[in-house]
Amino acid sequence: MYRAKDWRIFQLSGFGNPSDMNKRIRFLLDAGETGVIVKHDRMTDDHLYDVDHPDIVERREDVGLTGTVTVGLRDYETIMDGIPLESIYVKPGGGVAQSAPYTLACYWSTASRRGIPLEKLRGTGQSDFFLTYIGCPPKEQIPPGAAMRLNLDIIDWCMERMPHWVPVSIAGYNGADSGLNAWQELGAVFANAVEYLEAVSDRVDGNYDSFARMIGGMNFRTSMDLFEDAAKLRTARKMWHDLLTNRYGVTDERALRLRIHVVTAGSNMAYQEPLNNIVRGTVMALAAALGGTQSLGVSGYDEAMSIPSDHAHVMSIRIQQILQEETNITAVADPLGGSFYIEHLSQELERRALAFMSDIEMEGGFLSVIDSGWLLEQAARGQIEEMAAIEEGRKRIVGTNVHRAHEEPMPIDGFEGCSGEETWERAMQRLTSIRRERHGREVTRRLRDLEAACRTTENVIPRVMRAVQADATIGEIGDVFRSVFGVWDVPMRF
Amino acid sequence: MTHTRILIAKTSLDGHWRGVMVVARAFRDAGFDVVLGGMLRAGDIARMAGDEDVQIIGLNVGGRIEVVHRILDTLDQAGLADIPVLAGGTIPPQAIDELASRGVSVHPPGSPLTEIVDAANRLLGRVG
Repeated sequence: MYRAKDWRIFQLSGFGNPSDMNKRIRFLLDAGETGVIVKHDRMTDDHLYDVDHPDIVERREDVGLTGTVTVGLRDYETIMDGIPLESIYVKPGGGVAQSAPYTLACYWSTASRRGIPLEKLRGTGQSDFFLTYIGCPPKEQIPPGAAMRLNLDIIDWCMERMPHWVPVSIAGYNGADSGLNAWQELGAVFANAVEYLEAVSDRVDGNYDSFARMIGGMNFRTSMDLFEDAAKLRTARKMWHDLLTNRYGVTDERALRLRIHVVTAGSNMAYQEPLNNIVRGTVMALAAALGGTQSLGVSGYDEAMSIPSDHAHVMSIRIQQILQEETNITAVADPLGGSFYIEHLSQELERRALAFMSDIEMEGGFLSVIDSGWLLEQAARGQIEEMAAIEEGRKRIVGTNVHRAHEEPMPIDGFEGCSGEETWERAMQRLTSIRRERHGREVTRRLRDLEAACRTTENVIPRVMRAVQADATIGEIGDVFRSVFGVWDVPMRF
Repeated sequence: MTHTRILIAKTSLDGHWRGVMVVARAFRDAGFDVVLGGMLRAGDIARMAGDEDVQIIGLNVGGRIEVVHRILDTLDQAGLADIPVLAGGTIPPQAIDELASRGVSVHPPGSPLTEIVDAANRLLGRVG
């Protein structure tokens, strides 16, 4: 495994305007990151809103705080300025299903304009259901069924022309950090995979090999339960192999190989005594390495108060470099295999995950349990249980509910990146000039074409590409999606 | 004990609901009537606080402090300055004093739920 290739150091990062993001990418590459992830501003990107949307104006100081703010394709050219797209592995954003077509279209167009053929690009999308249909639903987003359709369009597009691109990634992390336990995370992730495979059953003619390769990128969370989390990753690889061979007759070796990305639990990073989180990040990273992840992001030690500061970010990279280069754990594949305890945990996780998976299928399948609120309720129960365990001292968090200091012994400030009213004003200026400089009628025509494609079964990706290449804005793409697909009613009960 | 109504709202457009839900359930379990507002603008918070006759407001902060000030200012202008406000969420340490100086009871991540409910009762003039 790591004897041939170290796991990819792949950190989530982003804030401010595109030029700030570009500087950040260079800073992280310089520190030794081996892939690039662009984190987009939650307000504009999750919602597909322009920066002059009334809900944004109301909170304009927040713009750029949680990620970088883009108004259209030109901003992606700024973000990627001077970054060697032909050789580096990139996740250009698109974690949120409804914004992925816009993000990917902007990134791919940026590469095309530089003369880089799409088939050369290496990277990954995400378009994940757990992120915004479980973890953090925006105020307005299209229903899960519509998101599924967009995802299938992305997959089809990539299958035809992008052999080195992972079109979607099923991100269990976002379910786990929202309250699902280890086997629920596994079960829900595989129920999601089944939903994809079933969606194409009538057009693959019994041969799932190529399609299975497209959805074999998954993302899991490691937390402080070191052995359970390492076992979870081993179990995921086995479950993937078994599901594809037993149920779908897949034989292609590359399809059967699950590729795993791990993010260490942000919710395990304590607000009190934040430097303790460097130790927690190390333990969670170790779980990911022992479990055999292909890439890894370690949460910043200041996670509970802000996005990572420069120092927190470098620490997340250093933790990984120290594990890779000083500990010798990369010398052997599956170092825990054969341990009675790990094998027991792996088997037990698989048994429970399969049971949870069939619970989901009994409830109508993955999209149904998202839409009905059933999965949200499972997550909520997990949260309540975890909170009770913390309150009663059954779950101990050093510095928070045990060994609590009277005065904060290691204070740090929260990082505000490049947010604030000025960031918003600069984004407003870009939006205004784009609207002034572009060919208005051409944009309208291309948005109308996109709308027409959304209403039929035509693949929307070429239409989104043409719209953003004419400088259609993020909010205009969002308006088309909302007008055709409608807005999801979040089934949140409490 | 008569029921006390609390309005819980998010200040930012960041959808993370985990903290909101846990705190909302704690208040419900403590006998409060909880009005879950979601991602509301300042004007909506003031309107709902007035219309629903709430006695206390809980803000989930997921963004910058200026946005919280805008909400507090709007409440002041609407003549609702007497409604006590609690705030939780990813509040940077340097902003805690600033909010406290406006009378806001601040509860960063890791605060025990009982402490939050007790603080609400104290602000309402009850012994916690």
